[in-house]
Amino acid sequence: MTSTVFLIDSHYGFHNKGRTMDDPSVLSEISHEQLVIMVARNKDKHAFRQLFDYFAPRIKSYLLNFQITDQKAEDLTQEVMITLWQKADKFDPDKAKISTWLFRVARNKYIDKIRKQKYPEVNADDHIASMVAPDKTDKSIKELQDQGRINMAMAALSDEQRIVIELSFFKEFSHSQIAARTNMPLGTVKSRIRTAFQILRKELGDYK
Amino acid sequence: MKTHGIIPDEWIVSYASGALSEAHALVVATHCHFHPELQQKLDDAENIGAMLMESNRPVKVSNHMFDEIVSEIDGTTIKEKLPSYSDGIPYPLANYLDHKSLDQLKWRMMGPGLSQVRLWTGPNDERLWLLKARGGAKIPSHDHKGLEFTLVLQGSYRVGNERYEPGLLEIADDDTKNHTPIIDHGEDCICLVVTEAPIKIHSFFGRIVQPLIGL
Repeated sequence: MTSTVFLIDSHYGFHNKGRTMDDPSVLSEISHEQLVIMVARNKDKHAFRQLFDYFAPRIKSYLLNFQITDQKAEDLTQEVMITLWQKADKFDPDKAKISTWLFRVARNKYIDKIRKQKYPEVNADDHIASMVAPDKTDKSIKELQDQGRINMAMAALSDEQRIVIELSFFKEFSHSQIAARTNMPLGTVKSRIRTAFQILRKELGDYK
Repeated sequence: MKTHGIIPDEWIVSYASGALSEAHALVVATHCHFHPELQQKLDDAENIGAMLMESNRPVKVSNHMFDEIVSEIDGTTIKEKLPSYSDGIPYPLANYLDHKSLDQLKWRMMGPGLSQVRLWTGPNDERLWLLKARGGAKIPSHDHKGLEFTLVLQGSYRVGNERYEPGLLEIADDDTKNHTPIIDHGEDCICLVVTEAPIKIHSFFGRIVQPLIGL
Protein backbone atom coordinates (compact mmCIF):
# COMPACT_ATOMS: atom_id res chain seq x y z
CA MET A 1 0.00 0.00 0.00
CA THR A 2 1.37 3.37 -0.94
CA SER A 3 -0.66 6.25 0.39
CA THR A 4 0.56 9.60 1.49
CA VAL A 5 0.55 11.04 4.97
CA PHE A 6 -1.36 14.04 3.64
CA LEU A 7 -4.52 12.56 5.17
CA ILE A 8 -3.56 13.79 8.61
CA ASP A 9 -1.91 16.94 7.40
CA SER A 10 -4.71 19.43 7.84
CA HIS A 11 -5.52 18.58 11.43
CA TYR A 12 -2.14 17.68 12.87
CA GLY A 13 0.08 19.96 10.89
CA PHE A 14 2.41 17.36 9.46
CA HIS A 15 3.84 18.06 6.01
CA ASN A 16 4.63 15.09 3.83
CA LYS A 17 7.16 16.91 1.69
CA GLY A 18 6.32 14.63 -1.24
CA ARG A 19 7.37 11.46 0.54
CA THR A 20 5.18 8.43 1.22
CA MET A 21 4.42 6.45 4.33
CA ASP A 22 6.55 3.59 3.03
CA ASP A 23 9.54 5.81 3.60
CA PRO A 24 10.78 5.07 7.15
CA SER A 25 12.23 8.56 7.43
CA VAL A 26 8.70 9.92 7.19
CA LEU A 27 7.24 7.71 9.88
CA SER A 28 10.09 8.32 12.28
CA GLU A 29 9.19 12.00 12.33
CA ILE A 30 5.58 11.39 13.31
CA SER A 31 4.46 11.30 16.93
CA HIS A 32 3.12 8.10 18.43
CA GLU A 33 -0.30 9.66 18.72
CA GLN A 34 -0.33 10.51 15.01
CA LEU A 35 0.79 6.99 14.15
CA VAL A 36 -2.19 5.62 16.07
CA ILE A 37 -4.49 7.85 14.01
CA MET A 38 -2.98 6.41 10.85
CA VAL A 39 -3.64 2.90 12.14
CA ALA A 40 -7.21 3.83 13.02
CA ARG A 41 -8.06 5.58 9.77
CA ASN A 42 -6.11 3.62 7.18
CA LYS A 43 -5.26 0.35 8.94
CA ASP A 44 -1.69 1.36 8.16
CA LYS A 45 0.66 -1.51 8.96
CA HIS A 46 3.80 0.59 8.46
CA ALA A 47 2.60 2.98 11.15
CA PHE A 48 1.65 0.03 13.35
CA ARG A 49 5.15 -1.42 12.89
CA GLN A 50 6.66 1.82 14.18
CA LEU A 51 4.47 1.67 17.27
CA PHE A 52 5.30 -2.01 17.73
CA ASP A 53 9.05 -1.44 17.48
CA TYR A 54 8.94 1.24 20.15
CA PHE A 55 6.37 -0.10 22.60
CA ALA A 56 6.54 -3.92 22.44
CA PRO A 57 10.09 -4.15 23.94
CA ARG A 58 9.11 -1.72 26.71
CA ILE A 59 5.79 -3.38 27.49
CA LYS A 60 7.50 -6.76 27.68
CA SER A 61 10.18 -5.30 29.94
CA TYR A 62 7.48 -3.84 32.22
CA LEU A 63 5.70 -7.22 32.38
CA LEU A 64 8.92 -9.08 33.20
CA ASN A 65 9.09 -7.05 36.42
CA PHE A 66 6.32 -9.32 37.71
CA GLN A 67 8.52 -12.42 37.68
CA ILE A 68 6.64 -14.16 34.89
CA THR A 69 8.31 -16.31 32.24
CA ASP A 70 9.66 -14.80 29.06
CA GLN A 71 7.00 -16.69 27.09
CA LYS A 72 4.15 -15.30 29.19
CA ALA A 73 5.53 -11.78 28.86
CA GLU A 74 5.70 -12.32 25.08
CA ASP A 75 2.13 -13.60 24.94
CA LEU A 76 0.79 -10.68 26.98
CA THR A 77 2.75 -8.13 24.95
CA GLN A 78 1.30 -9.63 21.79
CA GLU A 79 -2.21 -9.31 23.21
CA VAL A 80 -1.61 -5.68 24.16
CA MET A 81 -0.41 -4.81 20.67
CA ILE A 82 -3.38 -6.61 19.08
CA THR A 83 -5.68 -4.58 21.33
CA LEU A 84 -3.99 -1.41 20.08
CA TRP A 85 -4.69 -2.41 16.48
CA GLN A 86 -8.28 -3.32 17.22
CA LYS A 87 -9.16 -0.28 19.30
CA ALA A 88 -7.05 2.40 17.65
CA ASP A 89 -10.21 4.05 16.35
CA LYS A 90 -11.23 4.92 19.92
CA PHE A 91 -8.11 6.97 20.40
CA ASP A 92 -8.36 10.76 20.56
CA PRO A 93 -4.89 12.32 20.23
CA ASP A 94 -6.14 15.66 21.49
CA LYS A 95 -7.05 14.13 24.81
CA ALA A 96 -4.71 11.24 25.46
CA LYS A 97 -1.22 9.89 25.51
CA ILE A 98 -1.02 6.52 23.82
CA SER A 99 1.62 5.33 26.30
CA THR A 100 -0.85 5.76 29.17
CA TRP A 101 -3.51 3.83 27.30
CA LEU A 102 -1.04 1.02 26.57
CA PHE A 103 0.16 0.98 30.18
CA ARG A 104 -3.43 0.51 31.32
CA VAL A 105 -4.06 -2.29 28.81
CA ALA A 106 -0.81 -4.07 29.81
CA ARG A 107 -1.60 -3.75 33.53
CA ASN A 108 -5.12 -5.09 33.06
CA LYS A 109 -4.03 -7.97 30.80
CA TYR A 110 -1.51 -9.10 33.42
CA ILE A 111 -4.12 -8.96 36.21
CA ASP A 112 -6.69 -10.76 34.05
CA LYS A 113 -4.48 -13.52 32.65
CA ILE A 114 -1.96 -14.12 35.45
CA ARG A 115 -3.72 -13.04 38.65
CA LYS A 116 -7.08 -14.25 37.28
CA GLN A 117 -8.94 -11.21 38.56
CA LYS A 118 -10.91 -8.42 36.92
CA TYR A 119 -9.66 -4.85 37.21
CA PRO A 120 -12.70 -2.58 36.90
CA GLU A 121 -12.05 0.74 35.16
CA VAL A 122 -13.50 4.15 35.95
CA ASN A 123 -14.94 4.75 32.50
CA ALA A 124 -15.69 2.85 29.32
CA ASP A 125 -13.04 1.99 26.73
CA ASP A 126 -13.01 5.44 25.25
CA HIS A 127 -12.25 7.07 28.57
CA ILE A 128 -8.90 8.04 27.16
CA ALA A 129 -10.95 11.02 26.03
CA SER A 130 -10.88 12.28 29.60
CA MET A 131 -7.15 12.17 29.91
CA VAL A 132 -4.53 14.86 29.76
CA ALA A 133 -3.70 16.06 26.27
CA PRO A 134 -0.16 15.52 25.07
CA ASP A 135 1.86 18.40 23.73
CA LYS A 136 1.76 18.47 19.96
CA THR A 137 5.50 18.57 19.59
CA ASP A 138 7.95 16.61 17.57
CA LYS A 139 7.96 12.96 18.60
CA SER A 140 11.60 12.64 19.52
CA ILE A 141 11.55 15.78 21.63
CA LYS A 142 8.36 14.81 23.41
CA GLU A 143 9.63 11.33 24.20
CA LEU A 144 12.95 12.58 25.42
CA GLN A 145 11.07 15.03 27.56
CA ASP A 146 8.89 12.28 29.00
CA GLN A 147 11.83 10.02 29.72
CA GLY A 148 13.85 12.89 31.09
CA ARG A 149 10.95 14.24 33.09
CA ILE A 150 10.16 10.98 34.84
CA ASN A 151 13.82 10.38 35.63
CA MET A 152 14.15 13.90 37.01
CA ALA A 153 10.92 13.54 38.95
CA MET A 154 12.01 10.21 40.43
CA ALA A 155 15.33 11.79 41.36
CA ALA A 156 13.44 14.34 43.42
CA LEU A 157 12.22 11.54 45.70
CA SER A 158 14.09 10.27 48.73
CA ASP A 159 15.28 6.65 48.57
CA GLU A 160 12.41 5.58 50.84
CA GLN A 161 9.84 7.39 48.68
CA ARG A 162 11.29 5.98 45.46
CA ILE A 163 11.18 2.44 46.84
CA VAL A 164 7.45 2.57 47.68
CA ILE A 165 6.65 3.91 44.19
CA GLU A 166 8.78 1.26 42.48
CA LEU A 167 7.30 -1.56 44.56
CA SER A 168 3.83 -0.28 43.68
CA PHE A 169 4.34 0.07 39.93
CA PHE A 170 6.96 -2.59 39.20
CA LYS A 171 5.78 -5.31 41.60
CA GLU A 172 2.09 -4.41 42.07
CA PHE A 173 2.63 -4.72 45.83
CA SER A 174 -0.20 -3.70 48.16
CA HIS A 175 0.50 -1.37 51.09
CA SER A 176 0.80 -4.31 53.49
CA GLN A 177 3.09 -6.22 51.11
CA ILE A 178 5.35 -3.15 50.88
CA ALA A 179 5.32 -2.88 54.68
CA ALA A 180 6.32 -6.54 54.99
CA ARG A 181 9.06 -6.23 52.36
CA THR A 182 10.61 -3.04 53.74
CA ASN A 183 9.90 -3.50 57.47
CA MET A 184 8.19 -0.11 57.50
CA PRO A 185 5.03 0.37 59.59
CA LEU A 186 1.90 0.31 57.42
CA GLY A 187 1.11 3.95 58.23
CA THR A 188 4.60 4.98 57.11
CA VAL A 189 4.17 3.15 53.80
CA LYS A 190 0.91 4.99 53.17
CA SER A 191 2.28 8.41 54.06
CA ARG A 192 5.39 7.84 51.91
CA ILE A 193 3.27 6.90 48.90
CA ARG A 194 1.12 10.00 49.47
CA THR A 195 4.12 12.29 49.71
CA ALA A 196 5.91 10.67 46.78
CA PHE A 197 2.81 11.03 44.60
CA GLN A 198 2.49 14.69 45.57
CA ILE A 199 6.13 15.31 44.63
CA LEU A 200 5.83 13.43 41.32
CA ARG A 201 2.70 15.35 40.35
CA LYS A 202 4.41 18.61 41.15
CA GLU A 203 7.59 17.69 39.30
CA LEU A 204 5.66 16.49 36.27
CA GLY A 205 3.65 19.69 36.16
CA ASP A 206 0.24 18.15 36.53
CA TYR A 207 -0.21 19.10 40.14
CA LYS A 208 -3.25 21.28 40.58
CA MET B 1 -9.71 20.51 50.50
CA LYS B 2 -12.59 18.14 51.19
CA THR B 3 -11.34 14.93 52.75
CA HIS B 4 -14.35 13.48 54.56
CA GLY B 5 -15.48 10.43 52.64
CA ILE B 6 -12.77 10.89 49.98
CA ILE B 7 -10.19 8.18 49.51
CA PRO B 8 -6.57 9.09 50.40
CA ASP B 9 -4.03 9.36 47.58
CA GLU B 10 -2.13 6.18 48.47
CA TRP B 11 -5.14 4.17 47.29
CA ILE B 12 -5.24 6.10 44.01
CA VAL B 13 -1.59 5.21 43.44
CA SER B 14 -2.25 1.57 44.29
CA TYR B 15 -5.20 1.45 41.92
CA ALA B 16 -3.13 2.96 39.11
CA SER B 17 -0.23 0.59 39.68
CA GLY B 18 -2.46 -2.49 39.62
CA ALA B 19 -1.80 -3.34 43.26
CA LEU B 20 -5.43 -3.63 44.35
CA SER B 21 -7.58 -6.73 44.49
CA GLU B 22 -10.62 -7.00 42.25
CA ALA B 23 -12.90 -5.90 45.10
CA HIS B 24 -10.89 -2.87 46.18
CA ALA B 25 -10.31 -1.88 42.55
CA LEU B 26 -14.07 -1.91 41.92
CA VAL B 27 -14.79 0.24 44.97
CA VAL B 28 -12.02 2.73 44.14
CA ALA B 29 -13.06 2.95 40.46
CA THR B 30 -16.73 3.44 41.41
CA HIS B 31 -15.79 6.04 44.03
CA CYS B 32 -13.66 7.94 41.48
CA HIS B 33 -16.59 7.92 39.07
CA PHE B 34 -18.39 10.33 41.43
CA HIS B 35 -15.48 12.78 41.76
CA PRO B 36 -13.78 14.49 38.78
CA GLU B 37 -10.87 15.60 40.98
CA LEU B 38 -10.16 11.96 41.83
CA GLN B 39 -10.33 11.02 38.15
CA GLN B 40 -7.73 13.70 37.45
CA LYS B 41 -5.48 12.26 40.16
CA LEU B 42 -5.98 8.81 38.73
CA ASP B 43 -5.05 10.04 35.25
CA ASP B 44 -1.91 11.59 36.73
CA ALA B 45 -1.03 8.36 38.53
CA GLU B 46 -1.56 6.32 35.36
CA ASN B 47 0.53 8.80 33.38
CA ILE B 48 3.29 8.26 35.92
CA GLY B 49 2.87 4.49 35.48
CA ALA B 50 3.14 4.89 31.71
CA MET B 51 6.30 6.96 31.99
CA LEU B 52 7.81 4.39 34.34
CA MET B 53 6.87 1.66 31.85
CA GLU B 54 8.57 3.61 29.07
CA SER B 55 11.65 4.11 31.23
CA ASN B 56 12.15 0.33 31.47
CA ARG B 57 15.14 -0.87 29.50
CA PRO B 58 13.71 -2.26 26.23
CA VAL B 59 14.10 -6.04 25.92
CA LYS B 60 14.17 -8.19 22.83
CA VAL B 61 10.89 -9.49 21.54
CA SER B 62 10.79 -12.56 19.33
CA ASN B 63 11.35 -12.00 15.64
CA HIS B 64 8.07 -13.61 14.68
CA MET B 65 5.80 -11.67 17.06
CA PHE B 66 4.98 -8.90 14.61
CA ASP B 67 4.16 -11.39 11.83
CA GLU B 68 1.94 -13.37 14.18
CA ILE B 69 0.08 -10.20 15.14
CA VAL B 70 -0.42 -9.24 11.50
CA SER B 71 -1.74 -12.69 10.60
CA GLU B 72 -4.13 -12.53 13.56
CA ILE B 73 -5.45 -9.03 12.92
CA ASP B 74 -6.01 -9.78 9.26
CA GLY B 75 -8.55 -12.42 10.17
CA THR B 76 -10.49 -10.63 12.88
CA THR B 77 -13.21 -8.08 13.03
CA ILE B 78 -14.33 -6.28 16.15
CA LYS B 79 -17.91 -6.49 17.24
CA GLU B 80 -19.03 -3.14 18.52
CA LYS B 81 -20.79 -3.42 21.85
CA LEU B 82 -24.28 -2.03 21.88
CA PRO B 83 -25.07 0.58 24.50
CA SER B 84 -26.00 -1.20 27.69
CA TYR B 85 -28.59 -0.60 30.33
CA SER B 86 -27.05 0.87 33.46
CA ASP B 87 -29.98 2.01 35.62
CA GLY B 88 -28.08 5.10 36.74
CA ILE B 89 -25.46 2.88 38.38
CA PRO B 90 -21.91 4.27 38.10
CA TYR B 91 -20.18 2.75 35.06
CA PRO B 92 -17.56 0.58 36.84
CA LEU B 93 -20.21 -1.15 38.94
CA ALA B 94 -22.75 -1.35 36.10
CA ASN B 95 -20.14 -3.02 33.93
CA TYR B 96 -19.13 -5.35 36.76
CA LEU B 97 -22.79 -6.36 37.17
CA ASP B 98 -22.98 -7.00 33.44
CA HIS B 99 -25.43 -4.10 33.20
CA LYS B 100 -28.13 -5.77 35.26
CA SER B 101 -30.29 -3.44 37.29
CA LEU B 102 -30.06 -3.68 41.08
CA ASP B 103 -33.57 -5.16 41.15
CA GLN B 104 -32.43 -8.03 38.96
CA LEU B 105 -29.84 -9.15 41.52
CA LYS B 106 -30.52 -11.92 44.01
CA TRP B 107 -30.89 -10.04 47.29
CA ARG B 108 -30.64 -12.21 50.36
CA MET B 109 -32.32 -11.19 53.62
CA MET B 110 -29.91 -10.66 56.49
CA GLY B 111 -32.37 -9.49 59.09
CA PRO B 112 -35.11 -6.91 59.58
CA GLY B 113 -34.61 -4.21 56.95
CA LEU B 114 -31.26 -5.60 55.79
CA SER B 115 -30.36 -7.54 52.66
CA GLN B 116 -27.23 -8.26 50.69
CA VAL B 117 -25.83 -9.58 47.42
CA ARG B 118 -22.50 -11.36 47.54
CA LEU B 119 -20.50 -10.34 44.45
CA TRP B 120 -17.03 -11.84 44.90
CA THR B 121 -14.94 -13.72 47.41
CA GLY B 122 -11.20 -13.42 47.11
CA PRO B 123 -8.11 -14.78 48.80
CA ASN B 124 -7.91 -14.48 52.60
CA ASP B 125 -11.68 -14.28 52.98
CA GLU B 126 -11.90 -10.91 51.27
CA ARG B 127 -15.54 -10.29 50.32
CA LEU B 128 -17.26 -7.86 48.02
CA TRP B 129 -20.96 -7.31 48.45
CA LEU B 130 -23.84 -4.92 48.07
CA LEU B 131 -25.72 -4.03 51.24
CA LYS B 132 -29.23 -2.62 51.28
CA ALA B 133 -30.59 -1.18 54.54
CA ARG B 134 -34.05 0.28 55.11
CA GLY B 135 -34.22 3.94 56.10
CA GLY B 136 -33.94 4.30 59.87
CA ALA B 137 -32.26 0.91 60.36
CA LYS B 138 -29.40 0.56 62.84
CA ILE B 139 -26.54 -1.77 61.97
CA PRO B 140 -25.56 -3.88 65.02
CA SER B 141 -22.60 -2.39 66.91
CA HIS B 142 -19.42 -4.18 65.86
CA ASP B 143 -15.62 -4.10 65.74
CA HIS B 144 -13.47 -4.68 62.67
CA LYS B 145 -10.68 -7.01 61.90
CA GLY B 146 -8.87 -5.94 58.76
CA LEU B 147 -9.93 -3.21 56.41
CA GLU B 148 -13.48 -2.37 55.41
CA PHE B 149 -14.47 -0.03 52.57
CA THR B 150 -18.08 1.15 52.38
CA LEU B 151 -19.12 3.26 49.38
CA VAL B 152 -22.60 4.79 49.45
CA LEU B 153 -24.51 4.42 46.18
CA GLN B 154 -27.97 5.52 47.31
CA GLY B 155 -29.47 6.95 50.50
CA SER B 156 -27.22 7.93 53.40
CA TYR B 157 -26.09 6.95 56.90
CA ARG B 158 -24.36 8.44 59.90
CA VAL B 159 -21.59 7.23 62.13
CA GLY B 160 -21.37 9.56 65.11
CA ASN B 161 -21.20 13.07 63.67
CA GLU B 162 -20.07 11.97 60.20
CA ARG B 163 -22.65 11.61 57.42
CA TYR B 164 -22.03 9.46 54.38
CA GLU B 165 -23.94 10.26 51.19
CA PRO B 166 -23.79 8.85 47.64
CA GLY B 167 -20.21 8.88 46.37
CA LEU B 168 -18.62 9.09 49.81
CA LEU B 169 -16.45 6.28 51.12
CA GLU B 170 -15.97 5.17 54.71
CA ILE B 171 -12.79 3.30 55.60
CA ALA B 172 -12.82 1.29 58.83
CA ASP B 173 -9.94 -0.79 60.16
CA ASP B 174 -8.68 -2.63 63.23
CA ASP B 175 -8.82 0.63 65.19
CA THR B 176 -12.52 1.12 64.50
CA LYS B 177 -14.38 0.01 67.62
CA ASN B 178 -18.10 0.06 68.39
CA HIS B 179 -18.89 0.85 64.78
CA THR B 180 -22.62 1.57 64.74
CA PRO B 181 -23.87 3.06 61.46
CA ILE B 182 -27.40 4.45 61.57
CA ILE B 183 -29.27 4.67 58.28
CA ASP B 184 -30.97 8.02 57.66
CA HIS B 185 -34.75 7.95 57.43
CA GLY B 186 -36.15 7.96 53.94
CA GLU B 187 -35.07 5.89 50.99
CA ASP B 188 -33.18 2.61 51.31
CA CYS B 189 -29.43 2.99 51.69
CA ILE B 190 -27.44 0.87 49.21
CA CYS B 191 -23.69 0.50 49.67
CA LEU B 192 -20.86 -1.32 47.93
CA VAL B 193 -18.75 -2.96 50.64
CA VAL B 194 -15.43 -4.80 50.84
CA THR B 195 -14.49 -6.62 54.04
CA GLU B 196 -11.25 -8.47 54.69
CA ALA B 197 -12.48 -10.52 57.62
CA PRO B 198 -15.80 -11.14 59.37
CA ILE B 199 -16.81 -8.26 61.63
CA LYS B 200 -17.20 -8.87 65.38
CA ILE B 201 -20.76 -8.12 66.48
CA HIS B 202 -21.18 -7.16 70.12
CA SER B 203 -24.72 -8.29 70.92
CA PHE B 204 -25.46 -11.89 71.84
CA PHE B 205 -28.30 -12.08 69.31
CA GLY B 206 -26.12 -10.58 66.62
CA ARG B 207 -23.42 -13.17 67.19
CA ILE B 208 -25.99 -15.97 66.98
CA VAL B 209 -27.40 -14.84 63.63
CA GLN B 210 -24.08 -13.70 62.13
CA PRO B 211 -23.19 -17.03 60.49
CA LEU B 212 -26.68 -17.23 59.03
CA ILE B 213 -26.64 -13.78 57.46
CA GLY B 214 -23.12 -14.00 56.13
CA LEU B 215 -21.69 -10.85 57.72
